[in-house]
Amino acid sequence: MSKCPYHDPFKEAREKGPVLETEFDGDPVAMLVDFKAVRKACRDPKTFSSDAPFRIPIPREEDVRTVRQYPFEVDPPEHADYRAIVEPLFRRPTTPEYIEKMEDLVDELVRDAAGRDSIEIVREFAIPLQSKGLTLLLNMPMSEADIWIKWGTHVFRDESGVSKGHEMEAYTNSLFDKAEANPGEDFFSHLTKAEYRGRKLTREEMQGYANIAFAGGRDTVINAISMVVAYVAEHPEALDAMRENPKLIISGTEELMRYASPVTHLGRHCPVDTDVHGTKVKADHLISLNWAAANFDPKIFKDPEEVKLDRKPNPHVAFGNGIHNCLGAAHARLTIRTLLKKLCELTSSIELVDFHRKKEVEAHYTRENAFHTLNVKMAPATP
Amino acid sequence: MAKVTFITEDGNSHLIEDAEGSLMDIAVDNGIEGIEGDCGGVGSCATCHVRVKQEWMEKVGKAEELEQDILEFEDGTCSRSRLCCQIDVDEDLDGLVVEVAKLG
Repeated sequence: MSKCPYHDPFKEAREKGPVLETEFDGDPVAMLVDFKAVRKACRDPKTFSSDAPFRIPIPREEDVRTVRQYPFEVDPPEHADYRAIVEPLFRRPTTPEYIEKMEDLVDELVRDAAGRDSIEIVREFAIPLQSKGLTLLLNMPMSEADIWIKWGTHVFRDESGVSKGHEMEAYTNSLFDKAEANPGEDFFSHLTKAEYRGRKLTREEMQGYANIAFAGGRDTVINAISMVVAYVAEHPEALDAMRENPKLIISGTEELMRYASPVTHLGRHCPVDTDVHGTKVKADHLISLNWAAANFDPKIFKDPEEVKLDRKPNPHVAFGNGIHNCLGAAHARLTIRTLLKKLCELTSSIELVDFHRKKEVEAHYTRENAFHTLNVKMAPATP
Repeated sequence: MAKVTFITEDGNSHLIEDAEGSLMDIAVDNGIEGIEGDCGGVGSCATCHVRVKQEWMEKVGKAEELEQDILEFEDGTCSRSRLCCQIDVDEDLDGLVVEVAKLG
């Protein structure tokens, strides 16, 4: 896979300078493709604002949702107060109890996969793992995942062409109704009880939190899981190295996240005319923070197209950077670390049967960081 | 084994008597407020930013170029800033004092 010609589609652009002038939704977008330029822009929310509902993800999402996402599409100073409401819930993946539950879940799924003749990883492994894993984060019964599994890889833009966005909004709204009537300890109940600056959250705000909780960590985690399985299938020596030295599971998770960069880029809004490294961005237009391009910047990452499981330091921005860094990062890290650990423990070999890659085709690049299908044969570890 | 002290944002000092190994792991294991160490110690997350007390700078050493790049855009960075996952504690650092920087 490392020889894939599309793996770093931003190489030429990066060599020309920090900005790739491209377009999305018929509008010009100044895309930052240089590590330092991306990181610097993350730290300047006045110039590069997130207060632009539906427009922070690019392409824009008015067609697939009706609510602003919280705390994602909010600027300082309000952002910190909105984020503080959910931050404690999203820190739980670092607790021993949570780690144990994740281990049990992944253990069961890997044992099942290794017990079959072959398995299609995207639909039969990654989607169930992402969905069931999310029940831990949202503190819901695991059976609830059966509903989410049916949503496909991307709630908003599954390959079926049918967006599940509105179905999801109706579903989360019904969960808030239930939580208000009969509050428990789950994510939805937490939001119905929460206070923002001395008042309760509005239903629209609650829906905004729920929206990103489901959409933000879905295709990203599913694609990361699939990519990790594909990588270790093609590189059995990687699992051997991790079996030998389990510390590599921690640094290897970071390196595989850098390599996969599940979110290619996200937008920021320029409220006024802005000079972005020589590119004139008009008021009310967007820049893009290209995490994938930053993560392959050879000025920061030596031999960026090589996976080095022990890469250190590894300042990748696969989870973004700055105040808006990925809220689900602790959960995502635990998911991938546990996956690698269980693949080491419970399999003796993983053979790639066939795959069909998914292409992200845009005006100035084509990127392949996901799979439509990925068939592998896993052999159980010999006892 | 070495003694290390973390001064947290609230001004309190936390003395760890039996410190050894990665300063980030030591902080996380002892629940030091402001050190999260999410990435497990490869300098991805910058959630283990400390400022080393001036008198210890010579022994601990300055951040290398790449670590400086990571720290460059963090809040409260100064010439004494380090990511504590990049600091290994051994007897040479017995008595070390660091201030925990605010999480960005």
